[in-house]
Amino acid sequence: MSMFFKRKDIQLTIVVLTFLVVFIPYFFNIPALDAFSKKLITIASLVNGFTLALAIHSQFRRASNQWRRKSRGYYWGAYMLICLIMMILFGIIGQESAPWHWVMFAVINPLSSVNYCILAFYLSGSAARAFRARSIQAFMLLAAGSIVLLYQAPLTGAVFPVIDPIALYLTNTFAVSVSRTIYLGLATASIVLGVRMLTGREVSFLGFAREE
Amino acid sequence: MVSESETEGGILRFLATIDIRIVYFLLFVVVVGPLLYPIGMPISVSPDTVEFHDVIAEMGPDDIVLLHLGTEFSGWNELSAGSTASMRMLIEQGAKVAIISAHPEAISISPLLYNSLSDVMDANDYKYMEDTIDLGYMHPNEAAVASTASDFHGTVRTDYLGASIEGTFLDDINTAEDWSLIIDIQTGVQSAAMLNHYRVSYGAPIAKHCIGVSVPGAKADLDAELLVGVLPSLRGGAELETLIGAKGPGVAAMDAFSIAHYMLLIFVVLGNIGYFGYQRSASRRTTVGR
Amino acid sequence: MASVLFEIPGMHSGRLFGLFLEVLIVVLALYYMTREKPPYIRRVAALDAIEEAIGRSTEMGKPVFFSYGIASRGFDLRTLIGISLLSHVARVCARNETQLIVPTGGSEGSYIVRPTVEETVKTAYTLEGKPELFDPDNIPFFSGQQYAYVGGYIGAMQRNPPGAVIACSHASEHMNIAETANAMGALTIMAPSSTGKTAVLATASDYLIFPEEAGAGAAYLSKEPSELASIRVQDILKWMAIALMIIGVIAATSGSDLINRLVST
Repeated sequence: MSMFFKRKDIQLTIVVLTFLVVFIPYFFNIPALDAFSKKLITIASLVNGFTLALAIHSQFRRASNQWRRKSRGYYWGAYMLICLIMMILFGIIGQESAPWHWVMFAVINPLSSVNYCILAFYLSGSAARAFRARSIQAFMLLAAGSIVLLYQAPLTGAVFPVIDPIALYLTNTFAVSVSRTIYLGLATASIVLGVRMLTGREVSFLGFAREE
Repeated sequence: MVSESETEGGILRFLATIDIRIVYFLLFVVVVGPLLYPIGMPISVSPDTVEFHDVIAEMGPDDIVLLHLGTEFSGWNELSAGSTASMRMLIEQGAKVAIISAHPEAISISPLLYNSLSDVMDANDYKYMEDTIDLGYMHPNEAAVASTASDFHGTVRTDYLGASIEGTFLDDINTAEDWSLIIDIQTGVQSAAMLNHYRVSYGAPIAKHCIGVSVPGAKADLDAELLVGVLPSLRGGAELETLIGAKGPGVAAMDAFSIAHYMLLIFVVLGNIGYFGYQRSASRRTTVGR
Repeated sequence: MASVLFEIPGMHSGRLFGLFLEVLIVVLALYYMTREKPPYIRRVAALDAIEEAIGRSTEMGKPVFFSYGIASRGFDLRTLIGISLLSHVARVCARNETQLIVPTGGSEGSYIVRPTVEETVKTAYTLEGKPELFDPDNIPFFSGQQYAYVGGYIGAMQRNPPGAVIACSHASEHMNIAETANAMGALTIMAPSSTGKTAVLATASDYLIFPEEAGAGAAYLSKEPSELASIRVQDILKWMAIALMIIGVIAATSGSDLINRLVST
């Protein structure tokens, strides 16, 4: 039975049918289909929740393989598993409990914040290392970026108000129009990709590799 | 023995190939310094912030606002100033506020928000369950967002602590169009779903407070009238604090914000001076020498 | 929002124009996919660089890191683009016997994507006749939290320095990955999914794949005539959009809201 559902043509048929179930009610007012579509999306999100168990299994398998092979950094795998088990236990005890609060505010909050703030260092490193006017286009990018950077610093607008209209023009005109251009391109690419998927030419999303 | 090519170039070579650790150290100093010893630089208020402020200023005691927390702790550092200032405005204007957390970490952020505004809530007799409710975590997929938009009470029955929301101000909310305003505090979690189901399907007004990277996209949505206001990142939060006269962590960070931006610009300029002065001539010398 | 020109009974208001565009794109795509002769498609340096990057890693004896993003909405467009590119990259790595590491995780939506990714890579190795080279531990799940995932990703790169890093459709962690890869001396090919990241990654990475190029990436790399032909549809739509914009600007300037109402229909 499971081999039947693993067949590419069966999976593609299911994909096309679910596509139509979600696609048609978006445009046409068919209450029964709309309700079924919402139910289907809810079922998908519930299944998504259960795949958490697969993710946890993957973590345990990988960490235990690393420990067995004594590969580089294997002890960090054990540390990660201990933290995982602790977190699960604290969550079971309750989200209003002291251990949960401690983990959230003393561990996750600062670690998450630090990882995000490191971006600032990476950006400055990248700006110092790689932001070069190697061509006319790069120079234009540099010039526009410099004006926007100056505008973004609140002090500049307070001291040199003349920069505000220039920077606002760059962000509200050029940046917005480029955003729209990219969204337009992305939208058309996505629909064409969707057609390739529905016609079976692109099957990687089903777990099959392209047969050349 | 050091070759001639390694010694020539001097300061220009240093600028072109600056050690990244020097950049990191200087950035650390210019950010931490003003935080420890505030300078109090003036800040200007941008038209976007004024527009966002005006949207919230229209809310009154008859309005019910949804604060959609689509951020984790990392994004909260950038968005807390604007979120706190927005919530302060709503409390002082007496608008009812419901909070939905769209990220597992955001359920711990809403208590932070309430705690930081506890004195404001007390001063305005703003009570939990009467004027504001924390609805807890809503699994952030399109299905959950669509469900809350089309049938609110079918999806949400209790608050974060399990108390029933029957008999509260949320009785008046049936679909997304019943919300007076939605303030979407976003790092990118389900922002498209909110637009698709709340705005496009039901016309609910959404004002977005987002991180800097999301601002160009948000401005495109604002221009297309999918959003009614955009508050851009920490700077927008600081400007909002200035506008409402309640200076807080946002304004405090602006000194470091300004200096860090200038420092970034200086690095770009110095790097380009080094590039044009050393690297380009070095590559020409190498080519000629072959 | 502008009012509509007309409404069709039984149809949601304001969605007719969108339906028309979708049907047009589907019809054009199907038409072009049946043609045998491929049209001229310009060279996309960043996509061509993928094979160069894998070759470089093979020569250096280093692994290739490929990531399809954090899949924050599960199987959304950006993740599908990443997985379609992964299929090609996995086959080339299997052919060259280069280690391929695919870090997964970063969001709650990533749980459901991971099994598909594992299956895709496994099938790629099997089709190349090298199933014994597939190691599921090369598809590590780091975390369902974005920055924990980034920490794991960067740690993996530092413990196992890559020869090439190909990252598609990430969120703000794109910068972390690009800079770390640069510091490791790896060839970086980034495919951002939005405007804000495009400008930043243009400076931080060696090659940049634009969002629409990434969507056509798998078709481009396959070199199949029918799939290359389908890329032509994207160009046709863009020309149509340009024409509509010009007509719309002229109409709006002359005081007519006809085009505005037409696209709102």
